[in-house]
Amino acid sequence: MPDLIGNLGLGFATALTPMNLALCFLGCLVGTLIGVLPGVGPIATIAMLLPLTFKVEPTGALIMLAGIYYGAQYGGSTTAILINVPGEATAVVTCLDGHAMARKGQAGIALGIAALGSFFAGTVATLVIAAIGAPLTRLALLFGPAEYFGLMVLGLGLAIVLARGSVLKAIIMVLSGLLLSTVGTDLETGQERLTLGIADLSDGIDFAVLAMGVFGIAEILRNLENPEARAVVRGAIGRLLPSAADLRKAFGPIVRATGLGSVLGILPGNGAVLAPFASYTLEKKLARDPSRFGKGAIEGVAGPEAANNAGAQTAFIPLLTLGIPPNAVMALMVGAMTIHGVIPGPQVMTKSPTLFWGMVASMWIGNLMLLVINLPLIGLWVRLLKVPYRLMFTIILLFCCIGIYSINNNPWDVYFTAFFGLAGYLLIKFGLEPAPMLLGFVLGRLMEEKLRQALALSEGSFMTFVQRPVSAALLMIAAAIIVIAVLPAVRRGREEAFRE
Amino acid sequence: MNRFVAVLAAASALFATAAIAQNYPTRPVTIIVPFAAGGPTDIIARIVGEYFSKALGQQFIVENTAGAGGTTGITRGAQAKPDGYTIMMGHMGTHGAAPALYPNLKYDPTKDFEPIGLVAGTPILIVARKDFPAADLKAFVARLKDPSAKVKQAHAGVGSVSFTSCTLLSSQVGAKSIVAAYRGTGPALNDLVGGQVDYMCDQIVNLVEQVKGGNVKAYAIATAQRSPALPDVPTTKEAGLPEYQVSAWNALFAPKGTPKEIVAKLNETLVKALDDEATRKRLLDLGSVIPDKAGRSPQALAELVKSEVARWTPILKAYGAAGQ
Amino acid sequence: MRAENPRPSGSLAQLLRQQDFVGGLMGIGLAAFAFWQSADLPMGTLGGIGAGMLPKSLAVTLGLLSAALVLDALLAGGPTIDRWPIRGPLFVLGAVVAFGLTVRPLGLVVAGPLAILIGSLASSEVRWKETIVVGAVVTAACVGLFKFALGLPIPLAPWLIGY
Repeated sequence: MPDLIGNLGLGFATALTPMNLALCFLGCLVGTLIGVLPGVGPIATIAMLLPLTFKVEPTGALIMLAGIYYGAQYGGSTTAILINVPGEATAVVTCLDGHAMARKGQAGIALGIAALGSFFAGTVATLVIAAIGAPLTRLALLFGPAEYFGLMVLGLGLAIVLARGSVLKAIIMVLSGLLLSTVGTDLETGQERLTLGIADLSDGIDFAVLAMGVFGIAEILRNLENPEARAVVRGAIGRLLPSAADLRKAFGPIVRATGLGSVLGILPGNGAVLAPFASYTLEKKLARDPSRFGKGAIEGVAGPEAANNAGAQTAFIPLLTLGIPPNAVMALMVGAMTIHGVIPGPQVMTKSPTLFWGMVASMWIGNLMLLVINLPLIGLWVRLLKVPYRLMFTIILLFCCIGIYSINNNPWDVYFTAFFGLAGYLLIKFGLEPAPMLLGFVLGRLMEEKLRQALALSEGSFMTFVQRPVSAALLMIAAAIIVIAVLPAVRRGREEAFRE
Repeated sequence: MNRFVAVLAAASALFATAAIAQNYPTRPVTIIVPFAAGGPTDIIARIVGEYFSKALGQQFIVENTAGAGGTTGITRGAQAKPDGYTIMMGHMGTHGAAPALYPNLKYDPTKDFEPIGLVAGTPILIVARKDFPAADLKAFVARLKDPSAKVKQAHAGVGSVSFTSCTLLSSQVGAKSIVAAYRGTGPALNDLVGGQVDYMCDQIVNLVEQVKGGNVKAYAIATAQRSPALPDVPTTKEAGLPEYQVSAWNALFAPKGTPKEIVAKLNETLVKALDDEATRKRLLDLGSVIPDKAGRSPQALAELVKSEVARWTPILKAYGAAGQ
Repeated sequence: MRAENPRPSGSLAQLLRQQDFVGGLMGIGLAAFAFWQSADLPMGTLGGIGAGMLPKSLAVTLGLLSAALVLDALLAGGPTIDRWPIRGPLFVLGAVVAFGLTVRPLGLVVAGPLAILIGSLASSEVRWKETIVVGAVVTAACVGLFKFALGLPIPLAPWLIGY
């Protein structure tokens, strides 16, 4: 314990130097502004801004990059709430109730609770990293492909339960997402699958492209048709920030979500993407009136946002303690660290304590800065919503195009976005929800990879899923969730049949 | 009279191209890196690009165009306008192994490029999980050959350096390993450290800290000399497997048709970059190997490409036939 | 959005206006297409799952469930699809495609205003003078932001200044 205090002291001393503070602030600010651009998620943002950090010394550069990362995450949530475009996989859930709240004229409240929830989660997560980061990593290493597969199946179960409408349609959407995730090159043999001979599909469909098309562009099309449904119209802005009552409602979800996010974020390979979904489903089940969810329930924003942020922070643990990046963003951080001459590895904690603890401390400071930067910005965003839609939508459209193009400098990404925009429009027309499809898409790749790895390593034996305790447990929970989801629908079906 | 005009025309053309080369570059140059930002090739490109920007007075901007094991970006580079303002960073995969792995490859590594020069090579390490029951390379290879030992290998995906290197090893020693494919080095390394798989062959850049920290153990390094970054790891020659020599080399290329003077200027700057103290230090810290004077010419690169394509094609085609 | 219908009186035209019916048909179509495209991928065994196993099994399951949806629509009715205006999708998607086509050869300087102009055709509320001004201003802002402030390798005007 005294060790921890000493280390944190060292960390804060490092992080609070004027230079590092300034870099942290700059990173958060720039990250937020870029993250707000539709289609531009954290990976694209960090890759874009990486060269800016070359002029600075390593600790400062990493602090700035971390700031960019949180900023971009939060910026992505901002677009999710305001214009229904998720900047990253983790922001998809925020779109659901967040944008619904914006439509009801409560955009400011949604943004505010997202900021506050994230701050709380970030604080707790920072403490987790500081106190038990290293031993937690050892635990995470026990997660092999079989366990991961169990987790992914659990995630799919959550995706089905998440849906608002009929379970059948939700399952159909999840399956479509899974199918879309198979497009690309086969992992083991290198064969092309479902690429229709288009070279630019050989690496699969990019999440940003799918999300932008199905959410963002489809949303623009929907708003053009239904002027009454636009977020701008419910004019009276009213309260800009959450009230005490809102805070009370959101507190429970935030605490639970922080726990979920902190645990899932440590898992290698993007386990963190499940956190907001798990939180949303949990809150929906715990709520006294679940039908509010999907129409602007504050718990549906507070929980996922907190889970998001907790996961984003704890995702640093494997990076800082082991030197192995758990997801693509962290891989970029590894590159950034390497360019600055700090090669990440298990010895960073002991060999460069100033770096390690400085980063940990600046994580908390970064969260604080985000609050400081974003709460005033809420007023600006809400006022932006008042700009006449006939001007806004073309601007949003252009930013989307630029954002998508800059991911890979490939015009085909732009064409695909248009295609998915059409698909998203059709989905709206047919009353099908895009969120389960997106989750299916995100989970699909991971799930197939882990399934095949697990089976390869066990030489074809399916028993491996049952023999390993963690994976067996996860699969059972998944089965339970799916049964709970499907049962009411089946019962209703039988009742309806009886009534005939 | 006609001859005089011809000579005059030729002379002016010569001066014109020389003048263009003199002034080159007059605007920013794009270096296409066909992999995601943050990986070893990207880092090397950025380190070298920084030097170029300073030395030539114009920004050398890295453009990451990832996809299909690097071939998407290289295809774009090959088809770019050959005016010297688009160059690319290729490596052993894109210009050596690609013809064997991608039947519909839209470029020929030996014909569609003007080689500029070799930049840096990252030696390959053979590493295993820390509790693997083999004390040295010989014991390790013995276990590889034994089908009842069920040794598990991880690689970062078909087309990756870890895939091609390990395939070479397996074909040379006749290994009977179980192969598990991963999406990228991160997840593969993670499972190696966690003990879910037994071994990997990957670039030293990705592994150096894990070896130093004791999370994995290194059996040998596949180059002629020990690496200063890991002086305790024997070379494959010392450890008893001299025929296993692999280095993930990285090099700069320009599209075919780029003026000779511009290529020469770029090569000249590259040679200076590789001699520059600061740049050398950053490359060496990564564990990379900087080519000696003889290996830095465009001709040396052209020959390397030819020999690499010849070397990898039979090995990888054999894997392809077996794997499918 | 949900307009509750009693059981449809069976005419094809009415069926085609039901969300679930058409949606289910599209699902079947997607499944069939996916299955056809992955037809020659090897299924492999459970011990060595081939490239084709997952796409094919997903396609089959999707097809079956979509058929169930169609059946559900036939038997139990459901909400109808509201109108299908062409103008919005045509111009919005057209703007995106136009951007993709022009950004590399003609650069941001052309692609930007073009996207804004085509996009604004999608809305009947659009006023021309505003749009042209917005197009110019926003493109200039984007150029400043993306090209100069951030240094993104996005082409500016290759036909004019070469990059």
